[in-house]
Amino acid sequence: MTIDDGRRSQLLRGVLDLCLLAVIGEGPAYGYEMTKRLRARGMSTVGEGSIYPLLGRLERDGFVETRREASNGGPPRKYYSLSPDGKRSLETGVGEWETARDAIDRALDLLKVEVTP
Amino acid sequence: MIGFVEECRREWRRLGVPDPIANEMAIDLTADIEEAEAEGGSAEDVLGNSLFDPRRFAAAWAGARGVTAPPASVDSFAPLERDRRPWHRPAMLVALTSFGFLTALAAVALLIGRHGVAVAASIGRNVALPGPARFFGPASATPPFRYFVSGPSFSVQNGAPYLVLAFVVLLGGIVVLGLAVLYRTAWFRRESKHRLW
Repeated sequence: MTIDDGRRSQLLRGVLDLCLLAVIGEGPAYGYEMTKRLRARGMSTVGEGSIYPLLGRLERDGFVETRREASNGGPPRKYYSLSPDGKRSLETGVGEWETARDAIDRALDLLKVEVTP
Repeated sequence: MIGFVEECRREWRRLGVPDPIANEMAIDLTADIEEAEAEGGSAEDVLGNSLFDPRRFAAAWAGARGVTAPPASVDSFAPLERDRRPWHRPAMLVALTSFGFLTALAAVALLIGRHGVAVAASIGRNVALPGPARFFGPASATPPFRYFVSGPSFSVQNGAPYLVLAFVVLLGGIVVLGLAVLYRTAWFRRESKHRLW
């Protein structure tokens, strides 16, 4: 793994729970459905390890609620939806992300000014 | 793919995950993988790199759900040796502490023993002296008195390596005990970190 890959991986890890909460916030979803939603937004997160452990933690911490629902011809699937705590955590997380992103943008803009001839 | 799920099941069983929870996770995983394959994808689309390490994946998932002792983190997993040999840390701690304590004890026993011998020898010589006046007399007065005066220097010269050895052993024991304390501290800190999950 190169240093660039490592950085990308660390960045994704830091916000994957927030992204999961966001895609669950769009509507109840089961595991693979969430993976597809994330991929549709350009996040190939599962390359670094699957989302299941993270979903497990969100469930254990009470940020998501689950229920079993029948699927087309297959076994019942476990659907995840946001709990009230999950909604609050998502709102807080988005605010924190925006603050961090703005600060990083400013730092990188400064860098751009320095390296641009 | 059945092989992957079966590997996970074995790991969950080994970690003591209750059967209903293990079954639920296995069913969810199988359904997701089958759906990915039905859409022309593969299990790797569902599992990513975890596909190549089912045991680690299973341990991480169960740990995150809080149904077993958790790994170091969801993303960076601790070596499975940790779960495989749960006794090795306490055993190491007991071994270090015992060794350090016994070494220090042996050193102290050597020192006390040596001191005791020296005192006994001095007392013996004092008692053997013929009369109190000779305590304060010249060193060359009589052969017994000369022997008494030169006794201590004779003992120290011969006992110096002995004392050094005893102090080195004592120091070694203290160092090992210190290592045991450090080991215990690091271990407990690690365990506390895991308990946060």
